[in-house]
Amino acid sequence: MNYNEFTRRYFEAAANVGELTGAGVFRGAAGTRGQGTWVQFDLQIKAGAVSAARFLAFGCPHTIAVSAWLAESAVGRAVGPRLPEGVQELRDRFAVPIEKTGRLLIVEDAWLAAALPALEYRG
Amino acid sequence: MNIAQPNTAQPNTAQMPVYLDHAATTPVDARVALAMAEVLRSETAYGNPASTSHDYGDVAAALVESARGQVAAAVGAGAAEVIWTSGATEANNLAIFGVSRYYRDRGRHIVTVRTEHKAVLDPCRELERRGWEVSYLVPDQEGLLDPEQVAAALRPDTVLVSLMHVNNEIGVVQNIAAVAAICARHGGAWLHVDAAQSVGKCPIDFASLGADLMSLSAHKVYGPKGVGALLVSRRGDAGGRGRVQLAALQFGGGQERSLRAGTLATHQIVGMGLAFELAMTLSSVETARVAQLQQRLWRGLAALGGVLRNGSATRSVPHLLNVSFAGVEGESLLAAIRPYVAVSTGSACTSALAEPSYVLRALGRSERLSESGLRFGLGRTTTEGDIDTAVAVLTREVGRLRHIAGATPVT
Repeated sequence: MNYNEFTRRYFEAAANVGELTGAGVFRGAAGTRGQGTWVQFDLQIKAGAVSAARFLAFGCPHTIAVSAWLAESAVGRAVGPRLPEGVQELRDRFAVPIEKTGRLLIVEDAWLAAALPALEYRG
Repeated sequence: MNIAQPNTAQPNTAQMPVYLDHAATTPVDARVALAMAEVLRSETAYGNPASTSHDYGDVAAALVESARGQVAAAVGAGAAEVIWTSGATEANNLAIFGVSRYYRDRGRHIVTVRTEHKAVLDPCRELERRGWEVSYLVPDQEGLLDPEQVAAALRPDTVLVSLMHVNNEIGVVQNIAAVAAICARHGGAWLHVDAAQSVGKCPIDFASLGADLMSLSAHKVYGPKGVGALLVSRRGDAGGRGRVQLAALQFGGGQERSLRAGTLATHQIVGMGLAFELAMTLSSVETARVAQLQQRLWRGLAALGGVLRNGSATRSVPHLLNVSFAGVEGESLLAAIRPYVAVSTGSACTSALAEPSYVLRALGRSERLSESGLRFGLGRTTTEGDIDTAVAVLTREVGRLRHIAGATPVT
C-alpha cells in the first residue's frame, strides 16, 4: 500500500505518544486490539481549551498518523463536541482509502469519548 | 523510451532496502544473464527450436535440449520428463487441469492442503466450480502434514493429490516420499508436487521421491522469470497402473510432446538450464552459509520478545524464516520497515484492507499474529551485514510501534 506524504510524516515521526495524568485530564478509547484497531486519547483541559494531548494506537499507518495529527493540532483549541477536523476532511488530508473509513470512525469515537465529558469542565 | 539508453529512473542500489525476499524471486545470476544474452545476440541461435528444416532450428533445438538435460540432472529426472512451461504457476495448472481432464471419467476428487500456494488452490477452486470435490487437509501447528492424513482422505474416485514440497511462506518440508507411497498403494491417485521453492535449498530427486508430476520455476533459483517446467514421470509404478497421463490445455504446434503448444523461448530455457546447474553446484556450501545467517536473524529477532516463529524449526529449509510480532499491527510493521528492509508480509494485499495470511491462519495463529507475520527470504546475495541491518530495523520499529500501542502484546 502507498501512503501520501502527510500520512508518512505523521506515521514515521508520530509525536505526542503516551498518557496524561492529573487534574483536568480526560481519557477516551474506542475499538479493540483484537479487532485490529484501538485508539486512546488523553486530553488535558485548561479554561475550556486543550492544553495537552496524548494518544496511543494499535492500528494501521493511517490510524496512527491521524491520531498523531489530532493530538498535535488540538492543542490550544477549544474543546468541542466534534473532531478538530471532520472524518471526510481527514480522509482527504491523509488519503485514507474508503475501505478504511471505519477505522477513522474509531478514531473519532475515541476522541469524542475524551472530549465530550470535558465540555462541562471548568478547571 | 529510447531503447538505446537504459532507463535510469529507478533508484540506485545505495537507496534500495536490504533485499530479504528471495522466496518471492531471486536476482538473475550474472552467468545466467550472460548466457541468455549470448543466445539473444547469437547469429545462429535465433531459429525456432521446432524448425527441423535448417541449421538455425537445429542450433536452437540443441540449446533447448542441453538445458533440458541440465534441469533434469539437477532434480534427478530424465530429460524426456521435462516439459517447459512459462513458470511454476502454469506447471501447476497443467498438472491439475491436465490430470483432471484426462481422468475425469474415473473420478472427480482431489486432495490438497490448505497451506498450498494459490497457484494450486485457485485451480482446485475452479474445479470445484466445475463440479469436482476437493479435500483440503489441515496441517499441524508447525505446518507439517502427517502422510496418514492423505491416506485417510483418499477415496476410490480420487485422481490427484497435490502437495507442495517446500512451503513458500513458512519453508517447511513435507514428506513427499511417504505420500507418494500412499498414492501408489491407492492405485488411482497421482501425486503432483509443487517444488518451486525446493531447488537449491534442499535435496530433491524426482525419481526417488516417487512423485508423478512436479512443478519447477527458474526465477526462484537465480534464473529468469517467465520460464519453468513440469516434470511428467515416464515411469510406471509397481501397481501396474502405467504412467501418468495429461490432457493438453493449449493447442497449436504440438511442442513438448503435444502437452504444451507454443514456440519455445530458447534464451529463457538456456537461462533456466544454467541456473539449475549452478544451483546444484553451490547447494551444500550455500545451504550451510544461509543456515548460519538464518540462525543469526532468528537470534536477533527473538531477543525482542513476543516474537513467534511460524512453521517447524527442524523440518524446514534455512532460506526462509517466518515470524510474527505480538503487539504490532501487520500493516504498520510492514510500512515502518519498508524503507530499509524488503520482505514479504503474511498478508495478501488484494485491497486496501490487508487479509491475514491464510497459511498462518491454517497453522492456528490468531488473525492479529497472522497479519504481523513477516517472511524473510535469504539467498545468495544475503550477507551478515544485511541480517544485522534487518535486526536493527526490526528492533527499532517493533519497539516504536509497541510503544505507540501502549499495551501488552496481543497474541
